Amino acid sequence: MNVNTSVSVSEVDALQSGPVYAQIEFRNVTKTYGKVTAVEDLSLTVSRGEFLTILGPSGSGKTTTLMLLAGFEAPTAGDIFIAGRSVAAVPSYRRDQGIVFQNYALFPHLTVIRNLEFPLQMRGINAAERTRRVRRMLERVHLSDLGGRMPSQLSGGQQQRVALARAMIADPPFLLLDEPLGALDRGLREQMQIEMKSLHKEFGITTVCVTHDQEEALTLSDRIIVMRAGRIEQADSPEALYDRPATSFVARFLGEANMLENPDFQFKSDTPQASGTVAMIRPERICILALDAQKRGDADQRQSVNGTVEDMIYAGPLRKYHVRVGNSFFIVREHVASGQQIFRPGDEVCLDWLRSDVRFVAV
Amino acid sequence: MMKLFQKLGRMPIGLTIPAFAILLVVFGIPIVLLFLASINAPAFSATNYLGFFAQTANVRVLFQTIEVSVVATSICLIVGYPTAYLIVAASKSVRITLIALVIIPYLTSGLARTYAWIVILGDRGVINNLLLQLGVIHSPLQLIYNTMAVYIGMVHIMLPVMILPLVSAMMGIDRSLTAAARSMGARPLTAFWRVFFPLSLPGVRAGSLLVFVFCLGFYITPAALGGLRDAMLSTFIAAQVKNSFDISRIATSAFILLAIAVAVLFLLGLDLASAQGRTATTAWKSWVVRISKLDMLKRYFSRFSDSYRAKLWTTQLYQAGDDSRLSNIVGTMFVLLVMVYLHSPGLIVIIMSFSSGTFLEFPPSSISLQWYQTFFGDPSWRGAAWTSIQIGVAVAILSTIVGTLAAYGLNRTHPRLRSFLTMTILTPVTIPVIVVAIASYYGLVNLGLIGSRTGIVLAQSTGATGIVVVIVSATLANFDRTLERAAKSMRAGPLQTFWRVTLPLIRPGVIGGAVFAFLHSFDEVVITNLVSGYSIRTLPLKMWENIRNQIDPTIAAVSSLLMLVPVLWLIILYLTWWRSRLRDHRSRPELET
Ligand SMILES: Nc1ncnc2c1ncn2[C@@H]1O[C@H](COP(=O)(O)OP(=O)(O)OP(=O)(O)O)[C@@H](O)[C@H]1O
Ligand SMILES: [Mg+2]
Repeated sequence: MNVNTSVSVSEVDALQSGPVYAQIEFRNVTKTYGKVTAVEDLSLTVSRGEFLTILGPSGSGKTTTLMLLAGFEAPTAGDIFIAGRSVAAVPSYRRDQGIVFQNYALFPHLTVIRNLEFPLQMRGINAAERTRRVRRMLERVHLSDLGGRMPSQLSGGQQQRVALARAMIADPPFLLLDEPLGALDRGLREQMQIEMKSLHKEFGITTVCVTHDQEEALTLSDRIIVMRAGRIEQADSPEALYDRPATSFVARFLGEANMLENPDFQFKSDTPQASGTVAMIRPERICILALDAQKRGDADQRQSVNGTVEDMIYAGPLRKYHVRVGNSFFIVREHVASGQQIFRPGDEVCLDWLRSDVRFVAV
Repeated sequence: MMKLFQKLGRMPIGLTIPAFAILLVVFGIPIVLLFLASINAPAFSATNYLGFFAQTANVRVLFQTIEVSVVATSICLIVGYPTAYLIVAASKSVRITLIALVIIPYLTSGLARTYAWIVILGDRGVINNLLLQLGVIHSPLQLIYNTMAVYIGMVHIMLPVMILPLVSAMMGIDRSLTAAARSMGARPLTAFWRVFFPLSLPGVRAGSLLVFVFCLGFYITPAALGGLRDAMLSTFIAAQVKNSFDISRIATSAFILLAIAVAVLFLLGLDLASAQGRTATTAWKSWVVRISKLDMLKRYFSRFSDSYRAKLWTTQLYQAGDDSRLSNIVGTMFVLLVMVYLHSPGLIVIIMSFSSGTFLEFPPSSISLQWYQTFFGDPSWRGAAWTSIQIGVAVAILSTIVGTLAAYGLNRTHPRLRSFLTMTILTPVTIPVIVVAIASYYGLVNLGLIGSRTGIVLAQSTGATGIVVVIVSATLANFDRTLERAAKSMRAGPLQTFWRVTLPLIRPGVIGGAVFAFLHSFDEVVITNLVSGYSIRTLPLKMWENIRNQIDPTIAAVSSLLMLVPVLWLIILYLTWWRSRLRDHRSRPELET
């Protein structure tokens, strides 16, 4: 089936001019270091032009996956295909790719221009063409005035942009990003997220990004794969992943989740609960009300339970309540609005949610 | 008294006074006087220099000195660079072992190691004996007392001096940089050449400078292993001091040697890490490009290489890689060979020192301790050893106190002034040792201390103080000044703060400094040879005489002992370091809670 898609893809490519972006496929890839299995039986397809993010806790095999794709490591078993070609035995320098390293890895002894020229030189592109491309790329990332500087004379954000420009300047068929924004402070990170998103939209280059920043993953990606102990836990679009997590691990890893294991009240939901699953509801899906508050019109589609506020945390635009209901414990998140009733620890409250917002996830 | 110290504490630069006082009296003033003598002050003329160059023998020796130094430095670089590269590329435990294996010979007596080569290369040496026994040859080969032997011996001694700065520079190179280069299509060799090599240049410069200057002033190995035609300028100068004491002629030769050293220091860039150095080299480069037609040549070449690369890129894209096993094997073999070269002479001597016959044999037919018995039984050997230990301890104490104070004071002075003063304190270890020896000789003559222990201690302390300053400064650089401020805020005086807070914290550095100062003294021949007169015999001096005059197998025992001393010291150093680490680990959780 994959063969079919790649054939049709190359037919389309033939009609287009400009760079050809690649489809990437992992087929049952395993990588072990001695006794440690870093990646286990990984199968995954990244389609052309997709922005895929690999997300997972520390040691889950994200970097290893990226290193396999970059050709710095060879798989112990299985094979990797780039644009339909097996690359398991191809060293890094014979692959056409762009990589942004976690610490940017800008050559400290070369100016920005020379850094950008490097991949072009390695591909034997002549001097005139190199100069032209470098100038265009510098304009594109708003660094035209800084071409003569050394990397050490640039700010963190500027270095990041140079690294991105260097990775993309040779029009590689795919781009690999290793924690691309990890070294930046918060404000700059948001700005760079927007910039990267627009770059990706403009070029449409196949991109694989590794991060453990969930916000970054949710903002940038077309699809996210969540890894756990070398295996894929779930792969889906950001919305689907957040809204319909398949396992409690994913639910907890992406955002906050209320897991209701053996609640001492009757749980109502629209769908029947399968065995081996647990009910989950996101904190922002729960309304917190005074006991005497008026019932809503759609009460028949909702469930309410009574509980006691144990703690209230005020966090700027949000207010977070910890509420105990019998033996279970709820986190409730509410946007601050004027005229809201504020509850204090010890207050009796009513929690109320739509039954359709309850999810059952594998334990 | 207390007041004086407090004043000094407030004026940190005052702490450097003792160090500079010794330096000035023993080395600084005499070298200025020597320079004046060489230019016939107050008449001022260049007759001495012209006279030096008028004699063809002098010029020949000068060129020989430069040639030997350049060739030895080049061999060290050619062998040392790949070794350092492979050491850095090895896994952590292998790397630490290899670095220790490079440091041990570095700390081992150069005299003992030179002696080892005599034993190996001599007419009745290990190699000739082996070949004779195997029947490959029928009369001994002339392996020693020629230029080849000089290079073998000098490179053997200088190689660690080259490898260590290279390793430290290469360790600082981020591995992801070469990975990045490869990911952009640079083949391993290109990635090395375009990225790794330029970044390792500071190490290349530092190592080459150290080795070159060392070679210029070092005459033990050439004199012991070379023929009559292999004399170095330093041998020449030393002989002049012993035979005729014509101060202006000696001074002239010394300053010519110094001028070469300074010229090379300047050419290769003194301050290796500074941005100034970089702009200087780029300016130099653009100048070269301008005066020659290099630019055009470069453009032509790059057009050629571009098309070659383009072809390579398209033909090899997504082709399977080459097998790297072969290069791994070659690399391992290379490092093994270098380690064998560094260690086998010492090991052979240690094994031979247990020979039981009247000659040294390898391998010994039976084991005996006779040469050790001779050593400990002979009052002249015992006396020399005892003198060396006394002088070594005195030098260690003096230079550690003076050097630690100076390092502490320098740490608190303005950076500009600090680097200038540090450079000055380091002169005795950064210029050819024979020049230091001549200056010290002259200085001690003026003080009437030639042939006295005090004189030897003072002369050796100038270099040892420099070593202590380097080591203690490195420790102070990592030292958290807020701890001191905290102590002061608790009303501790400066002296109390230094004694109760600073000193305990920098103790590993101070101990390390003391150990290196002792080793420096314990192995010193060139300076000691000149300033000892005829009355005092240190162990290296007695060994040196024996090596030159008669080959007494007792030297094998002495050499073995000398090679074991640094290993012992290393263990002591390691234990102090380990203890301070342990203390750190214990105190850290307390701070956190
Ligand atoms: N070179 C190596 N040698 C031995 N084990 C390794 C090596 N590289 C990775 N591992 C192991 O493989 C597992 C996965 O590592 P990997 O670096 O891929 O994790 P990661 O998801 O990138 O984690 P992090 O978020 O901390 O970077 C870990 O258990 C790690 O210890
Ligand atoms: Mg990682």
